[in-house]
Amino acid sequence: MTAIRAGEGDEDRWERSRRIKWLDMEKVRSSSFLVVGAGALGNEVVKDLVLSGARNITLVDMDRVVRSNLNRCVFFREDDSAARRLKAEVVAERARELDPDVDIRTVVGRVEDLPEGSWGKHSMVLGCLDNVAARLHVNSFTYFNMVPYIDGGTSGHAGRVQVILPPSTPCLQCGLNRSHYRILEQRNSCTGTEMTYFQPKMAADITTTAMVAAVQVREALKVLSGRSDSIISNVLHFNGLHNTWEELELSRDPLCPLHRVDLG
Amino acid sequence: MPFRVKVRNAESGSTVDMELEQENTVEEIIEGAAGYWEKDAGAYVIRRGKKLLRGQQTVSEAGIQNNDELELIPDPEGGFSGPPY
Repeated sequence: MTAIRAGEGDEDRWERSRRIKWLDMEKVRSSSFLVVGAGALGNEVVKDLVLSGARNITLVDMDRVVRSNLNRCVFFREDDSAARRLKAEVVAERARELDPDVDIRTVVGRVEDLPEGSWGKHSMVLGCLDNVAARLHVNSFTYFNMVPYIDGGTSGHAGRVQVILPPSTPCLQCGLNRSHYRILEQRNSCTGTEMTYFQPKMAADITTTAMVAAVQVREALKVLSGRSDSIISNVLHFNGLHNTWEELELSRDPLCPLHRVDLG
Repeated sequence: MPFRVKVRNAESGSTVDMELEQENTVEEIIEGAAGYWEKDAGAYVIRRGKKLLRGQQTVSEAGIQNNDELELIPDPEGGFSGPPY
């Protein structure tokens, strides 16, 4: 006769996660996540992924920690900024402290430098970027390789999450207009001491960052668990000052080159 | 035949009436409203009800009608925190 032991559940790291009936923990554990950006959103996304049971993560970033990152980046410390450590390496190191079982690999460089053949090897891509050009790059490669892409963006107390599931949903490019292309290469960063030209600094706070990242990861878990009924259908806009979340519909742009490929 | 819509600034809640022709584009509405409120350079989108309107659509294609209320929303592109390339 099988006997249970009092307190047994408290020794199982994933016992509470497994109580979420719809969550496919095995799928989460076996999936490969590509996180693009190890800044404010990237810190939160990696934290949430690791605490949600993700074991295979690739993290891409080319920057170093500066002191003004410390108001919103959970994994960065004073010593990291003093030593100007690479963000990706710091995040990976601290993520392993959260869960020693996580296999987190770092790519120190630009997302544009990732080999073309690497995109299709991931189950999911989470975008934690700061500029339109890099987003378009990720959008193109994920759509072409039919990899789900969950993009997050913040500005002060405003946030946005877009879930792109090729080939069924509109892609990121479908929602762009001239105002995006005017700032194509502008990095909406909020820090940086190696400035060689004027770059506008953007207001950023952890409350907005944490919420946007949490939604990104929750949507990723839903996609992997087959909860297509409850995934953000297009774009979620958040206004932290007015306490509003709005899920807005976006139609596919018939002139978008990615969908013209669909049509053959 | 020109007609009027109301454009709301999602950040401030203020509104402005805008006169449109059927061949105007959504991008022109964005630029007109962003210019009126002297918005910083950045990405913006326009919503009509629950729909985000694509920039290249004309007023006619987007189904915008007399007395409609549109909203100008910032489209956040931040999330990172490093120095430029």
